[in-house]
Amino acid sequence: MTPSSNDVATPTQATVEIEMTKNQLSDESSAVLSVRGLHKHFVLHNVDGRRVESLNGIDLDVRAGEHIALAGSSGAGKSTLLKCIYRTYLPSAGTVTLRSPIGPVELTGLADAKLAAIRGREFGYVSQFLRAEPRRGALDIVARAGIARGMDKETATEAAAVSLRRLHLDESLWDVFASVLSGGEKQRVNLAAGTISPPQLLLLDEPVSALDPANREAALALIADLTATGVAVLAVFHDLDAMDRLASRVVVMRAGRIIESGPPDQVLHHLEGVAR
Amino acid sequence: MTSLAIAKCAVTDHTTTEHPSASGPGQTVLRVERLGKIFGDQNPAAVAHTGPDAGTEKSPDGNSVVAAWDVSFDVAAGEAFGVIGESGSGKSTVMRAIAGDHSSTAGSVWMQRRDGSTVDLLTMTASERRALRVDELSVVYQDAAEGLDLGVTAGGNIADRLTAAGWRNFGQIRERAAELLGRTEVPLERMDDLVRTFSGGMRQRVQLARALANRPPIVLLDEPTTGLDASVAAGVLDLIRSLLEELGIAAVVVSHDFAVIEMLTTRCMVMQHGRVVEQGLTDQLFEDPQAPYTQRLVAAARA
Amino acid sequence: MSSTLADLVRAPVDPGILDEHAKREVRRAILTAVCVPGYQVPFGSREMPVARGWGSGGLQITLAIVGVDDIVKVIDQGDDEGVNAVNLRRLVTNTTGAVETTEVDEATVIQTRHRIPEDPLSADQTLVLQVPVPEPLRGVERNMAALAQMHAEADYARMWVSLYEDKVRNGVITKSTGYPCLVGGRYVIATTPIPRWDIPRLHQAPFLSLFGAGRERKIYAIPPDTDVEPLTFDDVPFEVERTPGASCSLCQATEAYLVEIPPSSIGAADGRWICSDTAWCRRRRSEDNQS
Repeated sequence: MTPSSNDVATPTQATVEIEMTKNQLSDESSAVLSVRGLHKHFVLHNVDGRRVESLNGIDLDVRAGEHIALAGSSGAGKSTLLKCIYRTYLPSAGTVTLRSPIGPVELTGLADAKLAAIRGREFGYVSQFLRAEPRRGALDIVARAGIARGMDKETATEAAAVSLRRLHLDESLWDVFASVLSGGEKQRVNLAAGTISPPQLLLLDEPVSALDPANREAALALIADLTATGVAVLAVFHDLDAMDRLASRVVVMRAGRIIESGPPDQVLHHLEGVAR
Repeated sequence: MTSLAIAKCAVTDHTTTEHPSASGPGQTVLRVERLGKIFGDQNPAAVAHTGPDAGTEKSPDGNSVVAAWDVSFDVAAGEAFGVIGESGSGKSTVMRAIAGDHSSTAGSVWMQRRDGSTVDLLTMTASERRALRVDELSVVYQDAAEGLDLGVTAGGNIADRLTAAGWRNFGQIRERAAELLGRTEVPLERMDDLVRTFSGGMRQRVQLARALANRPPIVLLDEPTTGLDASVAAGVLDLIRSLLEELGIAAVVVSHDFAVIEMLTTRCMVMQHGRVVEQGLTDQLFEDPQAPYTQRLVAAARA
Repeated sequence: MSSTLADLVRAPVDPGILDEHAKREVRRAILTAVCVPGYQVPFGSREMPVARGWGSGGLQITLAIVGVDDIVKVIDQGDDEGVNAVNLRRLVTNTTGAVETTEVDEATVIQTRHRIPEDPLSADQTLVLQVPVPEPLRGVERNMAALAQMHAEADYARMWVSLYEDKVRNGVITKSTGYPCLVGGRYVIATTPIPRWDIPRLHQAPFLSLFGAGRERKIYAIPPDTDVEPLTFDDVPFEVERTPGASCSLCQATEAYLVEIPPSSIGAADGRWICSDTAWCRRRRSEDNQS
């Protein structure tokens, strides 16, 4: 099913100033995110023109307050799925529908400019790595993320401080250029920025991989709180324990397909011994 | 499968007839439509024999260069749009066409004015376009000497734009110049030094300060850090990035350097031999390039 | 055979110095200049018996506009008796039949280099100024096409920058002669060769001022009752030259443009300063003597 250029456009929708409030969880049972028939392949023109199949038909719903963990061995397509949803990768077929205050929005056919506008506001993506903001301080980075989501400066700064403290980032590091922080420190800044005044849907891609056990605890607690406040989370962790604690549902992927889906206690014991 | 990719590469034509009159964030402030520039013989037949498939911008008889053809894109208020390409790609031609540094052969460049009206820059007289450059459209050139008067002080270069906009109070001119130089991290004690005595990185900062003097809604940046030492370039790039964000300026950033485009822009397009090869969200173009040429460029950049 | 010897003596010695065709062209240029105040009108500048740079432009204007009913005063640096002033005056009167004078209130045309007479001129009088460099932007731009464009688009940013740089470098705007002025709110002119002192006199003047640059082949004009505003910043007042405590050692005037002379000449007690406008100074002294 090829996506159409059917972005939701009321005749007056020239801008994408979509106001988002957490309280608009109007229908608890309707999905925040609906993926249908998602396929993704890559054509490596500069290798030998070969085609690499990465996702072979994914159907998935994520509801408000749900934490869905994607599990599976490396190469199964977990990160690919997240990136297709965020449209860092262009889906080859299928639809990705996001709930929004103005109605459902089909992301794969949405114009670039409109997608850029709703990214960060309607849905967020937290990767392992802090994007290049070398000369800003941690507090500033996190606060700006909050401001971008509509907070005023004081509230954003306060919330940023709360978040960084919660993640045990020492206050002495809040003003130094983020580029000099360690990997683990950067990752915590990244997580704080991604989750401040969170949008209705968060895509998390190995967000705690570089953290030592103590910091990991704090980070996982923060992520758990997200779903408690109604955020829909779709996450990739390589860590079974994290999945067990956080996930309301575990979806197992292999070779670009979903092979199993269910509550953690049911699914995860199958995966004992599988590293990722 | 590839139809989607092609749909993304082609001009997103959702707003062809939409010429917005309000300028809130998200509103298109600049729309380039099928822009073309041929140097030399104005021979339309040259178009068919040039481009990525022909592997050249030059016509077979050697009398024309189709430096840019069928280039379309739009930029929203507060958005930074990137143009990437190697030399000969036409990226600088496109920038200069918008800036008005040279005439264009075909197409339109719709710009939203401060008063909310929309105008096709290519239908304006040279003198009207020069007037625009005072406070509606600024340019930062790769070579600072092109955007500055080296024989004038740093403050004087800024005073040039302010007086052109009608500023007549010496004290206020000084204050605004100092403010801008401070914001672009030029040491204040150098405000009265001739720009000729400044290093390359400092010259670019002064150029930035001057370009922003009259708070233009649109800025064009052509290879803003090319030629600077790596550490200097990083600082200037970072400055540009924070200024664009802070001031909500719409920008077109032209560069061959992926790091620059990645840091500064949310959407971009790739040019080759005068044509647009691919266009999309910057992160998507870099992580999932569709066109063979783009894949090659990205692979080379990552190497 | 009705002409007498006297008639022959009074007839113009050399009618060919500026023929009627040339005069007509100069008059046309003047008319254009008057219609577009401050705009530099190009004209076909002829070879004159004075060298280029010595008043050939002013001379051509005067020759084009005077006739036998005119009375001509010529001054150089305010002085009727300077060598150049005398020569020019004789040239004009000998070739046009006009009469010469040193008294301002008698003159119909006053040609000058470097000064405007201290006495106010009336609407019946015309001031002709000799201009070496008519282009106010000369110091900031060389290219002719660019200059034309700047004037056409009223783009005087470079001029403002040079004033800014001047003030930054020197604490004050140091331009003395040739101060740039905005005429009729549109064109910027070079007021060479007059000093700042004389500039306020051009603003809303009842008389016509004509500027002639022979070497550069340009004529420009300030019609009567036209605004002439020296370019300056709002917070930097335009100041005229003053030497505190100085007065003319001949007539004791303090409110006139004074020039410094070496103590040994003139034969005055402490001859440091005298009036630049010699005729004005002389009349003041004769009036003082009469009172």
